[in-house]
Amino acid sequence: MSVTLGGADTRPVQWRAGAGRVVAGTVLLTAVALLPWLSGTDAALTVLRARSADQDPTPAQLAAVREQLNLDEGPFTHMAHWLGGLPRGDAGISWVSGEPVLPQVTSAFAVSFTLMLGALVVTIAVAALVCARTLHLGSRRRLGHARAGTGAAVLAALPKFLLASLLATVCGVWLDWFPSSGWEGPGAMVLPALALGVPSGAMIGGLLDHSLPAAFNEPWARTWHAFGFSPGHIARHALRRTLSGVLPQLLPTVVALVGGAVAVEKIFNIPGLGRLALDAAIAQDLPPLQTATLVLVLLGVAAGLLIQALRRALLGPALRDGALPALHPPALPRRRSTLWVAGFCAVALLTLVVAGLLRDPLHVDTTARLLSPSGAHPLGTDSLGRDLLARLGHGALRTAGVALAVTAVSMVIGLLLGMAAQVGAGLTEVVSTLPAVIAGLLTTAVTGPSVWGAACAVCLVGWSPYAAQTAALLEQERASGHMLASISFGADRWYLLRHHLLPAVLPSVVRNALLRLPTAVLVLASLGFLGLGEQPPTPEWGRLLSENQPYVELAPWTVLGPAGALVLLSVLAVSGTALGRSGARRRTPGRETRLRGSS
Amino acid sequence: MRTTYRGLAAALALTPLLAGCFVSGEGGSDADGAAGSAGRLRVALAVPPVQALSPYSNDATVLSKLSVAEGLTALDKDGAAAPALAKSWTRKNATTWTFELRKATFQDGTEVTAESVVNALDHANEAKTKPRVLSDVTLTAHADDTDTVTISTKTTDPVLPLRLASPALGILSPKAYAKDGTVSPVGTGTGPFEITRLTGKTKATLARFDAYWGGKAKASGIDVTWIAEGTARANALRSGDVDIAEWIPTAQAKLLDKDTRHEVPSVRTDSLVLNTGSGLFTDTALRAAARQAVDGSALVDSVFGGYADPAQGLFGPAVSWAADKRVEVTGRAKAATTAQVTSKTKGRTLRLASYTNRAELPEAATVLQQQLEKAGFTVKQDVREYTQMEADLLAGKYDALVFSRVTLLDTGDAVAYLASDYTSDGVYNIAGLKDSEVDQAIKSAAEEGDPARRQQKVMRAEAEILRTDAVVPLVHEKVVQGIGTDVEGVLLDPRERSLIDVDTRVK
Repeated sequence: MSVTLGGADTRPVQWRAGAGRVVAGTVLLTAVALLPWLSGTDAALTVLRARSADQDPTPAQLAAVREQLNLDEGPFTHMAHWLGGLPRGDAGISWVSGEPVLPQVTSAFAVSFTLMLGALVVTIAVAALVCARTLHLGSRRRLGHARAGTGAAVLAALPKFLLASLLATVCGVWLDWFPSSGWEGPGAMVLPALALGVPSGAMIGGLLDHSLPAAFNEPWARTWHAFGFSPGHIARHALRRTLSGVLPQLLPTVVALVGGAVAVEKIFNIPGLGRLALDAAIAQDLPPLQTATLVLVLLGVAAGLLIQALRRALLGPALRDGALPALHPPALPRRRSTLWVAGFCAVALLTLVVAGLLRDPLHVDTTARLLSPSGAHPLGTDSLGRDLLARLGHGALRTAGVALAVTAVSMVIGLLLGMAAQVGAGLTEVVSTLPAVIAGLLTTAVTGPSVWGAACAVCLVGWSPYAAQTAALLEQERASGHMLASISFGADRWYLLRHHLLPAVLPSVVRNALLRLPTAVLVLASLGFLGLGEQPPTPEWGRLLSENQPYVELAPWTVLGPAGALVLLSVLAVSGTALGRSGARRRTPGRETRLRGSS
Repeated sequence: MRTTYRGLAAALALTPLLAGCFVSGEGGSDADGAAGSAGRLRVALAVPPVQALSPYSNDATVLSKLSVAEGLTALDKDGAAAPALAKSWTRKNATTWTFELRKATFQDGTEVTAESVVNALDHANEAKTKPRVLSDVTLTAHADDTDTVTISTKTTDPVLPLRLASPALGILSPKAYAKDGTVSPVGTGTGPFEITRLTGKTKATLARFDAYWGGKAKASGIDVTWIAEGTARANALRSGDVDIAEWIPTAQAKLLDKDTRHEVPSVRTDSLVLNTGSGLFTDTALRAAARQAVDGSALVDSVFGGYADPAQGLFGPAVSWAADKRVEVTGRAKAATTAQVTSKTKGRTLRLASYTNRAELPEAATVLQQQLEKAGFTVKQDVREYTQMEADLLAGKYDALVFSRVTLLDTGDAVAYLASDYTSDGVYNIAGLKDSEVDQAIKSAAEEGDPARRQQKVMRAEAEILRTDAVVPLVHEKVVQGIGTDVEGVLLDPRERSLIDVDTRVK
């Protein structure tokens, strides 16, 4: 894991990055190809079950399937056969349906890709809204207070499947504005794109909003303002400066939706790639699963290269020549409201947990099902008459603990891999688009169903946003003037890492991690059907949300409670660290000047 | 900056280009638009095709639900064999039957002849994985003349006419059977509706087949959409996108208008299967204790939202003859008391399995967990996707399973279910039951040819099985079908085999 300094010679870097992509892709495809053999579950049985639910699994039937699919030949013959067909445009035939795989995968990919583009449009719009205020004030040098980003945290914490259910019910059924399901025209795209794009946009917007003040703090911004450049002009250049650090987040946040939007695809009945891959994975139907994985790998690499090219274009020659000024946030005073918000969230969560812990989360009372909130059940009851407050309270520690641990581990892995720029880049691109479900299946195949399996699986793929971010920020930091100065003064690698690289990267990565905390909770719970994670009836926030999802319309409080708790947690984390950071900065007066400079 | 704008603009410009990627609203429904809705039925089905509607897969029921293909026989309301492509049949001897065909045409224009029937049955017999309905019998079909088919079986098969009603044995024209073993029902059936187009796993278009032997269908065609998610199916009906939505989940049923909600008792029974082969429940007293602890009726109004009947046995109200012929269960083991349960289990936990494929089962498992814990058991749940745990279930790795099972399999005959699930050598014997009296009772029912006596023997076998406490029936499920108020003549079939026929129409 070498920390490269300077962008002196790019050719070997590109070569190594290319090798990283090939190796990562090959490892992933091989792992997928081995799935039925690793999992110990007979592929003949799962294929038979997928074909016919009532079929008796007699030895003769299983043998017939095995013979038909040539399962005895082993994984490598199959893989070679599949690879051999690819140059001819033949990706094999599905084990379940017996139909050619390529047409299925391409049409599903086209659907998912279109949906992803729709989500991208929404993401850009929402991100623009989130950072509009900072952009407006900053370009006019009126940024008096730092923003904690609670608004973005609220939106980013909204579970996509919940948003999807809600939109389908309200805009699809009640108001009849858009089709509630299906994929028959651009109109059908609106609701799913909103459900996917709003949380993603809030996440991207939150990151942009966080790094914009630093751009406005740069000397050029002050100079330009003094020279009377229009605010729009300054805003554009500040955006250009910060976008290059945030753009790589589009890969794991938006591009990954091509394969990772299974829940939303199901709710809106969209024949996308996520569902195809999931069905194939469950049936252990290798040819479609392999082809879908390959498509996702290629997509990840292509999108990664495109994003990199965009970044290079944004930053221009400055990146190459090591002439970028470093982005350092100004020491803006926090608003008092941030303290209030953090305090409110902390008190609310604490009350929730304490009140919940005093109640029984497991007691089933079938006569008290779906009761609306009342004195006896302040948050109402779920479909089995269990007290929701109790379930939230008892689930809080476990949920927050596991999610924080998983996020922390992912962040550390991301930081390390992000620093290993060349190898890391390829790996990051390949893993970014990998659906968590496939990681989950690979984990179950190795470990079997287990409590820690879900955490492992999420760590396996969860690091990619942080690695992408670290790599991007480091690239800028390495190209900055003060790094060159430090090197010329004879600073060693460790010194550079501690005093320049980590301080430049860490705040943004932590912010990113906190915005992604709710997603971690939901992804952890979404792997439950593979036997990964805590088994029911253990209360856990992600499970509370997914098990109550069918009752969204009938008993909205069953999901409002858990969703609200998730939002509280996320806002608390974001505003709490904002307070902590500004506190720390106040103790060590920085080199930065206040932004209100010229007025 | 310019570059970003250009990049963004390019990305956005791609969107309309990709609009070609939408599932093409099949020419018919769009062009006909308003006119098409006059007479065309729009249906949302639950299980997407797995093998391009091959009758040898899950998809077979689609062919019968939409009246695309027919067998030689069909099942009537009481589950007896009724004429379909065969207008009559006689049993020549124990293993030989002759079927007289009616005059009918395939949707590709060719005549239904004895030859084509023999061809269809031969293909079913030789299918790579044999359809479930033929798993315990070997058929030989022979054409006597153009409209007479003789079918003989290797061993006596008293339920052959019932068997032939199975959707897997639908008769398709010779054109349907490809050399590579695939079967395509597109334009090759004999029913009143003809599949004209199948779009992947999402849509199918059916047209009326005007030369149907039973007269012209009242609906001019069917537009099928497959919607796997129950909530989405309910939404499609509520927003008026479809006229018929099958299998509305119980959690959504209350959201439908009262007059669009139709419940049908189903042949599905949910039960708690206890593993008699290994673990805790090898002890009969513990099994009895579990049986006493478990109260399925508590599930009816809660988990199933009223869309179920409390269990009366293995066979519920959907099996019309079961209630009258029910045999009282005697000779059950004495249940262990709570104290005995605690001492007998010696701290071992009861591994309770259920699966996520049917939303109600995990909820039921949680209710049962509480009931069992009250009786002194320590319970740990394991809930997964069914295929993720089937191998473990068959290997007896769990003590108990909350199981939803169709009690009349595609033979329409109750014995097949009993034999595969409860005989010592049953292939689906999750309970691991090895009981000679149960084996004997099931065997004797299987050999009985007279329908009434066969039913009587089935009920005796049921009592024998329940005596062992290997299975504790919980509820008999009801299916909620969502049917728009402007549609009439939709068939509410407990066997979930038929839905639309010649008389179904938009008012």
